[in-house]
Amino acid sequence: MNLTYLKMSPLEKFWFNFKAFFKRLPSSFAAFFKAIPKKLYKLWLAFAGIFLNIGRAARDGDWKTRTSFGVMGFGLICRKQYLRGILYLLFEVLFVLYMVFFGWKYLVKMGSLGEVACVEGKDPLTGITTYTYYDNSLLILLYSLLTIFIMAAFVYMWYQNVKGNLLSQQFVEAHLTLPTTKDDVHSYANENYHKSLLSIPMFGLVVFTILPIFFMIFIAFTNYDKAHMPPAELFQWSGFDNFVTVLGGGVSSNSKIFAYTFGEVLLWTIVWAFFATFTNYILGMVVAILINKKGIRFKKLWRTVLVITIAVPQFVSLMFMSQLLADQGLINKLLEKWGWINQAIPFLTDGTFARATVIIVNVWIGIPYSMLICTGILMNIPADLYESARIDGAGPVKAYMKITLPYMLHVTTPYLITQFIGNLNNFNVIFLLTGGAPSSLDMQNAGKTDLLITWLYKLTVSESQYGIASVIGIFTFAVVAVLSLILYNRSKSVKNEEEFM
Amino acid sequence: MAEVSLKHIYKVYPNGTKAVNDFNMYIEDKEFIVFVGPSGCGKSTTLRMIAGLEDISAGELKIGDLVVNDMEPKDRDIAMVFQNYALYPHMTVYDNIAFGLRLRKLPKDEIHDKVVEAANILGITEYLDKKPKEMSGGQRQRVALGRAIVREPKVMLLDEPLSNLDAKLRTQMRSEISKLHSKLGTTFIYVTHDQVEAMTMGTRIVVMKDGFVQQIDTPKNLYNFPANKFVAGFIGTPQMNFFEGTLLKTDDKVIIAFDNSTAQITVPYSKLYKAKPEYLDGKTKVYIGLRPEDVSLADGGNKNGGSVVKVKISHKEELGSETLIYGDINMDGDGYDGSPTRIIIKDNGNREWQTGDVVEAVLNLERVHLFDAETEASVLPRVPEYNYLNCEVKGGRLIFCGAEVALPKAAECGDLKGELLLPTDAVIIGGSLKAEIVSCEKINGVYLLALTLNGNRLYAVVPECVDGNSVNIGLDFKKITVKTDGESKITPLPELNEFACKFVKNKAVEEIEINGKVKKQKTVRFGFVVEGTFFEANEENVQKIFAALGLKKAFSAGLKIECGASDLTVADEGIAASVLETLDYGTEKFLKCAVGENIVYVKCDAEKRGDIRLLPDFGRVGVVETEREIKII
Amino acid sequence: MEKKKFRSKKGAERVSLVLIYAILIIISLIWLIPFLMLIILSFRGEQVGMSVDYLFPKQWSFNNYVRLFTETKFLTWYGNTLLVSVIVTVVQTVIVLMTSYALSRLRFKLRKPLMNLMLILGMFPGFLSMTAVYFVLKEIGLTQNLLGLILVYSASSAMQYYICKGFFDTIPKSLDEAARIDGASRHTVFLKIILPLAKPIIIYTILTAFIAPWGEYMFSSFIMLGNDDKFTVAVGMKSWLDNATLMGQEGYFPIFCAAAVVVSIPITALFIWLQRYYVEGVTGGSVKG
Repeated sequence: MNLTYLKMSPLEKFWFNFKAFFKRLPSSFAAFFKAIPKKLYKLWLAFAGIFLNIGRAARDGDWKTRTSFGVMGFGLICRKQYLRGILYLLFEVLFVLYMVFFGWKYLVKMGSLGEVACVEGKDPLTGITTYTYYDNSLLILLYSLLTIFIMAAFVYMWYQNVKGNLLSQQFVEAHLTLPTTKDDVHSYANENYHKSLLSIPMFGLVVFTILPIFFMIFIAFTNYDKAHMPPAELFQWSGFDNFVTVLGGGVSSNSKIFAYTFGEVLLWTIVWAFFATFTNYILGMVVAILINKKGIRFKKLWRTVLVITIAVPQFVSLMFMSQLLADQGLINKLLEKWGWINQAIPFLTDGTFARATVIIVNVWIGIPYSMLICTGILMNIPADLYESARIDGAGPVKAYMKITLPYMLHVTTPYLITQFIGNLNNFNVIFLLTGGAPSSLDMQNAGKTDLLITWLYKLTVSESQYGIASVIGIFTFAVVAVLSLILYNRSKSVKNEEEFM
Repeated sequence: MAEVSLKHIYKVYPNGTKAVNDFNMYIEDKEFIVFVGPSGCGKSTTLRMIAGLEDISAGELKIGDLVVNDMEPKDRDIAMVFQNYALYPHMTVYDNIAFGLRLRKLPKDEIHDKVVEAANILGITEYLDKKPKEMSGGQRQRVALGRAIVREPKVMLLDEPLSNLDAKLRTQMRSEISKLHSKLGTTFIYVTHDQVEAMTMGTRIVVMKDGFVQQIDTPKNLYNFPANKFVAGFIGTPQMNFFEGTLLKTDDKVIIAFDNSTAQITVPYSKLYKAKPEYLDGKTKVYIGLRPEDVSLADGGNKNGGSVVKVKISHKEELGSETLIYGDINMDGDGYDGSPTRIIIKDNGNREWQTGDVVEAVLNLERVHLFDAETEASVLPRVPEYNYLNCEVKGGRLIFCGAEVALPKAAECGDLKGELLLPTDAVIIGGSLKAEIVSCEKINGVYLLALTLNGNRLYAVVPECVDGNSVNIGLDFKKITVKTDGESKITPLPELNEFACKFVKNKAVEEIEINGKVKKQKTVRFGFVVEGTFFEANEENVQKIFAALGLKKAFSAGLKIECGASDLTVADEGIAASVLETLDYGTEKFLKCAVGENIVYVKCDAEKRGDIRLLPDFGRVGVVETEREIKII
Repeated sequence: MEKKKFRSKKGAERVSLVLIYAILIIISLIWLIPFLMLIILSFRGEQVGMSVDYLFPKQWSFNNYVRLFTETKFLTWYGNTLLVSVIVTVVQTVIVLMTSYALSRLRFKLRKPLMNLMLILGMFPGFLSMTAVYFVLKEIGLTQNLLGLILVYSASSAMQYYICKGFFDTIPKSLDEAARIDGASRHTVFLKIILPLAKPIIIYTILTAFIAPWGEYMFSSFIMLGNDDKFTVAVGMKSWLDNATLMGQEGYFPIFCAAAVVVSIPITALFIWLQRYYVEGVTGGSVKG
């Protein structure tokens, strides 16, 4: 316990922590790098363990186990674990069929991404020009990736098969009773229940999320764009060209603009996420406190009024708002009619105005939600905390600063982080409200309010700049990951202070 | 309806902490066992291991005749009552009670009958259609009990079932659970941190601390004969008074001197027969324990010889029927803190005492408890391990207590005067010495015989009680120690031999004749390699090792074999050993052999020399995993 | 003097209460007025564009609603969205419940890595994977097809486990243990103990899953690109606005408002009905660490 620290005022504490952080920095860096060999060693151990197990199976295995190296599940079937054995065997057969009839022919072309895309010819009878399509780079890449995934799954299953066969052999040798097929089936409702529950969700995740992400990462290394559109054209591997282009080192004149656009959009994305998150949060909390104040009646009514607005689909309110706030929209027209303004306020057409507008509209959209969350937590703050604060002589403001705010921040940090990440990728608000407008000539296909994600959308949907878009996607991920990791680590330190628990 | 036996049960967490250490207990049918101890002592973990909610790291757990280590909870035929009741909130009381029966697919009518009967027993019939949240704590607890009893389990497990109730209800439910126990005749295992619950309900109590069992005994014995300071302090309210002090023996008296105080009292030596002489040297620190109820205030003539100390009263607590008086035997201290001179007195008298009064407290020395200051173990164990006697060796004869016996060859030594450490189980019935019987009592399954031999007290642990006034006794020389000036001249034979060993798998190709054809068949044999020799392990041991260590770790773990001298035999094959000497104890002979760097002792019939082979009896040896010190077999 | 102080304190409190009421009323107006405007505009009878300088219609009429259902494909879109919503709701709820239970109650080796993986996957911009998904769907012939959209919406539902798991974590573990001692397998515990207790969170999951397809634009516009028979309401209505600005078909704006009202009514009704559970889910689940 550090008594001198406890005595300090908040400012001194901050300064103390600040100094301590930088004092610690070299040693924590050193610790980080010192830990690397250990981690590598651990990784190596795990890796070596796999081969050790295989080696052990080859050495100790009887002929049944050894046969399972080639014929999966053989040993299991011999030892009357039919279900498992047959499933392994079936998997192997399916895998071989897949590879022979499908996977292999794509995999061999992965290096070149195809030789001939399309051949023009004339139908000898009718004389009409015909096109015969051969290699489709996109499909080659997609399917070879899929094949690699399946091969990885096969290797994993094969390893499990070897291990399982050896284990069943050891079971028999040790005169332990082997689980029967019935036991196996039962185990999927008990100790293996997680496998039953998670297999379908994970399958969906792999096919529709993980595989596509890998695909896009690979696309970032190709020259897939308007000029190289399968099936008419092939695209090729282009190494880091796209990355160079986006970072401004490219030869083309576009490159500089790309780099500039990326910087601008990234900066705005972060600014947006910050403001969108905290304005919502703080104002939501204020509204919640107002509604929850002692003596205010019709609490439920006020709350319901706000909750109803959550129910109206966001896209409706957003599109409606975009119409209302247009230069020729109702609001400008009304203001003009009442004589308050002479000229339309460029809510959505001036860069700065538009940025302010989206944040304000986002507040309008988001407050009911954050109000709800804050209400729930406010009601959970133990009343005796306030009572003891009042006895200690704290007024409402002091009570808010010393109890409400720290408590709220403490409990809602994970929520804030998810909100922040969500806002970094908030497609709807920007796209439906401004569509990224106003557009700017300095920027490549991006407007003043475009976030990385909406820019990405435009680059792919209207510009077909797939390679570049993938690179931006990867960068977006990097930004989101780094920011959320920082926040997450900060929140861990918050979590450890269990003063309210 | 079933016994529960726990043998060498361990709970070791992946980070290496041991929550439960070598828990051994045999619970008889229909017993009401209470596990008690401070939080984190491992009592709940043990219960949850019995329930099957927690894996058993090592050891063997039997319910009835079945080893249930790897059984799912539902197959163990147990029922459990949880601290927070764990009633299913979305079901009515009826459904709650019937849930387990429905899962077992009993016919509907039978379920109905059983549920109604259980509800009748517990007096909750009128709540059967209610949901748990509409009921009070006591009623919920009854439902939880109903859910448990309706299944008619072999063993009922109760995990602090009363700690969520208020004090009044707790007392009421306490007696109801006791009633239920006698009515059902099921084995109950009950966990609590409340010693009052433990004392009032249990037929036997297991006191635990830091994962170790401190004492297993009946409530009365725990109160009267605590095995160590922890148990003494834990059982009884207000807590036992502990003072630091020393004991000094002078002739047939022992002076108990209190530290930090001039107070000292004298007791006859006869009270301290069981104590080791070292404690009586006036220097060794001991804790002197006296329960508040064994201290009273001297009321004029009520003084009892030397057992009176002066106490300065610091404050008191009125309890109505009695008064707790807090004071200090050190006149400068105060009675608020837990200092080693603080004294609490339970007083039933009507006299008014004022703070600052100096009074005389009478200590009931019949009931004094003494504990070692370091190990905290009782100085006066119920069953003493040793008799500590003065002795003389002269011409190959041992003279003690005025009696004389011939020393066997193996225990011979030169003439000397010294001390004799005579284990109580080394005093055997049948021999040349005639001793008078003072008493014989049964303690924890053995009989303790108090004897006098020529006026000297001797204790003997015997398998059966001996009738009559006198008995002939002899000594088991292989267990005795004779010391002079702190140096052992006669040493006992070590009880356990230890061998480092590994568990291995051996493959062999055997040729088997089937229908006249010679076939080669591979067989796998499991066993232990001790000093380079392979011994096949029997089925049971193999299973135990795999159960405790898993299929992989079994072969890599370092093991240790422990066996007594009589578990080893000299054979044609086995562990190579060379005889160093033959120890002749008269009726028995032992070989002292060198195995590698170890010395082991083997029982034998005849003298042997040179190299021999030793064969352990694997039906009787113990196996210990050395890394975590876990007894596997 | 004491009394005076007391009274003045009460007076100050009254002033602050009045102030708060005023603020609350203003807030309510700010939040309600746009929606009232929406409803009012949807009844505008006269055919002028959105650039008008008055709010209340000169002619009240149901014409917009009639045109909405007769002249546009709105009804088809509405049906599409409803179908997708219902199926996605079922699939997503089941998947979320299964994943949450597994991650909350079962202990297996890959539990922590799996949770971390899903956390990281959540950081990838969802749209990034869209192209690949598009081509996967195209290969199996599911682009411009509602089934494709359903697949895309439900496939990664597992990642929504967070709130539901938080709820499961609050159900005492001793219930599971009691049930297991009573003879239940993990599966029985899930079905008979956990699920009945998870009603609030199930309803919350259903509600959010049901609403999502109504407001989702990014994926559906991409998958349905070019086939307005398969649009969802969001894509369809956005296409009106885009066309309106491009082609100046000003009459679409009141119809847009009418459509917005029609879309909002059932969801709002559902919401008000199940509000309690939604609030419970939001406040209970999303803030647990």
